[in-house]
Amino acid sequence: MYEFIAFYIFAISTTILFMITVMSKNVLYAMTSLAAGMVMISGFFFILGADFLGVVQLIVYVGAVMALYSFAMMFFDATKDIKEKHNNPTLVFLLGGLMALVFVIIFSAPIIGENIEASYPIVNGVGNAQAVGIVLFTKYLVPFEVAAIMLLVAMIAGIILAGKKMDISLTKTVIQKEPEDEILKESK
Amino acid sequence: MDATILPEVTAVGVIIKAVLILAVISAIAGFGTYIERKVLAFMQRRLGPQHVGPYGLLQLAADGIKLFTKEDIIPQHANKIIFSVAPAITAATAFIALAAVPVFPDFTIPFVDVFVPSIASDVNVGILFVLGMMAAGLYGPLLAGMAQSNKWGIIGSARTAIQFLSYEVVTGLSLLAPIMMVGSLSFVDFNDYQSDGTWLVVYQPVAFVLFLIAGYAETNRTPFDLLEHEAEIVSGYVTEYSGMRWGMFFIGEYANMITIGVIASVVFLGGYNDWWIFAGWFMILAKIAFSFFFMLWVRAAWPHVRPDQLMWLCWKVLMPLAVINVVITGLVMMAG
Amino acid sequence: MGLEKFKDRNVGTQNYIKLDLTHPPKDGWSKFKQVLSRAVQPELFVGLWVTLREMNNALFRGKMHTTQYPLEKLPISPRYRAIHDMLRLLESGHYRCIGCGLCEKICISNCISMDTRYDENQRKEVSEYTINFGRCIFCGYCAEVCPELAIVHGGRYENASEQRASFSLFEDMLTPIDNLNLQQEYQGFGAISPNADDNIKKTPLAY
Repeated sequence: MYEFIAFYIFAISTTILFMITVMSKNVLYAMTSLAAGMVMISGFFFILGADFLGVVQLIVYVGAVMALYSFAMMFFDATKDIKEKHNNPTLVFLLGGLMALVFVIIFSAPIIGENIEASYPIVNGVGNAQAVGIVLFTKYLVPFEVAAIMLLVAMIAGIILAGKKMDISLTKTVIQKEPEDEILKESK
Repeated sequence: MDATILPEVTAVGVIIKAVLILAVISAIAGFGTYIERKVLAFMQRRLGPQHVGPYGLLQLAADGIKLFTKEDIIPQHANKIIFSVAPAITAATAFIALAAVPVFPDFTIPFVDVFVPSIASDVNVGILFVLGMMAAGLYGPLLAGMAQSNKWGIIGSARTAIQFLSYEVVTGLSLLAPIMMVGSLSFVDFNDYQSDGTWLVVYQPVAFVLFLIAGYAETNRTPFDLLEHEAEIVSGYVTEYSGMRWGMFFIGEYANMITIGVIASVVFLGGYNDWWIFAGWFMILAKIAFSFFFMLWVRAAWPHVRPDQLMWLCWKVLMPLAVINVVITGLVMMAG
Repeated sequence: MGLEKFKDRNVGTQNYIKLDLTHPPKDGWSKFKQVLSRAVQPELFVGLWVTLREMNNALFRGKMHTTQYPLEKLPISPRYRAIHDMLRLLESGHYRCIGCGLCEKICISNCISMDTRYDENQRKEVSEYTINFGRCIFCGYCAEVCPELAIVHGGRYENASEQRASFSLFEDMLTPIDNLNLQQEYQGFGAISPNADDNIKKTPLAY
C-alpha cells in the first residue's frame, strides 16, 4: 500500500522533473530539476529494498556528478534564458519520438512476456552492502578493476592537465624585456 | 540489544518520531543560537543577550518574531522560484539526514501503546545515508548563490561547492576505517560494537580528528567558515536573503551541527551505551552537548584559514592521512 | 651637553619581546616541517585554554567587562565636551555671564547667538542667549575664551530629544538656583578623569 503510493509519487515527480530538464530554456531550472530527479530516482531503490544502491545514487549522482555540473554552470549567467537553435524541428521530433518508442518497446517486452528473472535475488540474512560486494568481487571483478584503472588514469591526466605550469605564477610573471633604448642597453 | 524483544515499529510510531525530531531539533537549533551567543560572550568576558526574559532566555522568541515578520525581499533580477526553494533545500536535507540517526532512546507512549523507535528510519546503511543527505544539502547554498544574481552570492556558492565536495572525500575516508572495523553501516551496530566500554576513538584517533575537521568544514564552522566570510564576500550565498528564508538557512546549519555531533558521539565516542553510573540517554545527550560546545569553543579560540590553505589542507594533508589510515587499518585487520 | 640624552627615547626598562621574523620557508620540505611543527606544538590548545580561562574568569571570578550602559555609566573626563553649562556666582547667585560676546564671536560654526542690553543699574544684562545644537560641533572654543568661566562644558552627553530647541535656551543651561551648592567648577584643560588611577594598566608589551 505504502509502496504503491510512494512508487507513483516518485514516478510522477521523476517524469515531470526530467521533462523540465529537457524542455526548459533556463540553465538554472534544467540543472535544479535534473538534480532533484536524481534524488527521486534514489527513491525507487529505497522502495525496492536496495538501500545501499539508493544511497550510492544519492552520493554519486546528486553529491558529486551534479555538483560538478553546477560548478561549471557558475561560469555562465544562470538567470538568463538560452536561445536554442532548431534547424529542423520535425526531424528532431521524429528521431526523438522513435528513440523513445524503441526504448519503451525494449523495456516493456519482457514485462509483457512475463519472463523477468533476478539473476542475483536478495538473499535473506545478507545485508545490502554485502550482497553488492559479493557480486562486485566475484562475477564483475574484472570490469570493476578495469573501471578503477580507468578512473585512476583519468585522475592522473586531470592532475597533469590542471597542474601544467603550476610553478609559474599567473599574476606575478616578471618578463625581462630587453631595453629598446640604446643608452639603456649600454648602461646595462 | 536483541531484535526480538523490541515491539513492532508501526507507521504511527515513525510519524510521531518524525514530528518529534522536527519539533525538538528546530527548537534546539534555535536555542543553539542563544547558547552560541552566550558562550562566545562569556569567553570574551561579555554578558551576551540579557534583556529578553530571565538571562535573555526569551531572545530566541524575539528573534523568531523578528524573522517571521521581516519583509521578504526577492531581488529584482533573481530567479524567483529557485531563490525561494533554495533555503528549503538546506533545511529539508538537514532534517532528512536526521531521519537515519538515533536521536532519542526508544520509548513507548503510555495508554495508547505506540512504540516510538530511536531511529525514524532504520536503514541499514545509516551512515552513508546521512553523508549522502549532507552532500545533497550542498544544493541549498549552491542554488541560492546562482539564483540571486549577486556577485558575492555566486562567489559564496562557488566556495561552498569547492569546500563541500573536497571535504566530503575526507569525511567519507575518515569514516571508512571505523566502518571496516565494525563491518556494518548501521548506527545501531556501531553502538553495539562499543557496548563493552572501549570507545572507537581509542582505536581510531586519527580518523576521529579527521572526521571532526571535515565535519567542521561541512557544517561551515569557524576555522573553515569561508562560505559567508563577512570580511571578504559580504555574506556569501545569503547576501540577498532576509527574514524567514535566511532563518531556514540558519536552522539547517544548526541541525547539521547537531547531526555531526550525533555521528561523532555514536561512531567514535561510545554511542548511547551506559557508562559508569550514567544511563545511556544521559551519556548521548552529554556527548552531543559537549561536541556542540566544542564547536563554539573552537570558534572563540581559533582564527580562520584562507581559502587556498583550506584546499591545501584538504587535498595535501587530510586526504593522504585518511587514505594511510584506511590502509593501516586494513593491514592490521588482515594480520589480526 | 649634547642632545643624545634627549634623543634616547627608550626611557624606563621595558622588556620588549622580539618577534621571530624569520623568512618564510621556500621549498616544499621546509614548508612541510613548518606546518608539522606548528601542528604538533600545542599552540592550538593554548588558544583553547586561554578562552576557557577567560570564561572561568568572567563567570566565577567576577571579571566581566560589560558595562550595562543605561543602568550604569562610566565616569567621564572633566575635559569631555558635552552640552554647555552656564554657571552662577556662588556668592550672589547671579549668573556669571557679563555679556561680553566673545563666545559668539569665536564660535566657528556660528551657533551661539546672544543679545544684551543695559539694565536699570547700567550693567550689561543678557537678554537672550541661545546655542543651536544642531550646528554646534562642541569644539570648546567658547568655554576657552570665556573670561569669567561662565560658559563651560557640562557632563550631559545623552543628546536625544524630541526637538533641538529643548536644550538650547539660556535658562536650561543655567545652574538651577536651588542647586547652587552642587555646581561643579570647571577644573581646567589639564584635568584628569576621576577614575584615572583605575585606568592605568600595563602596556601590552609588558605582559
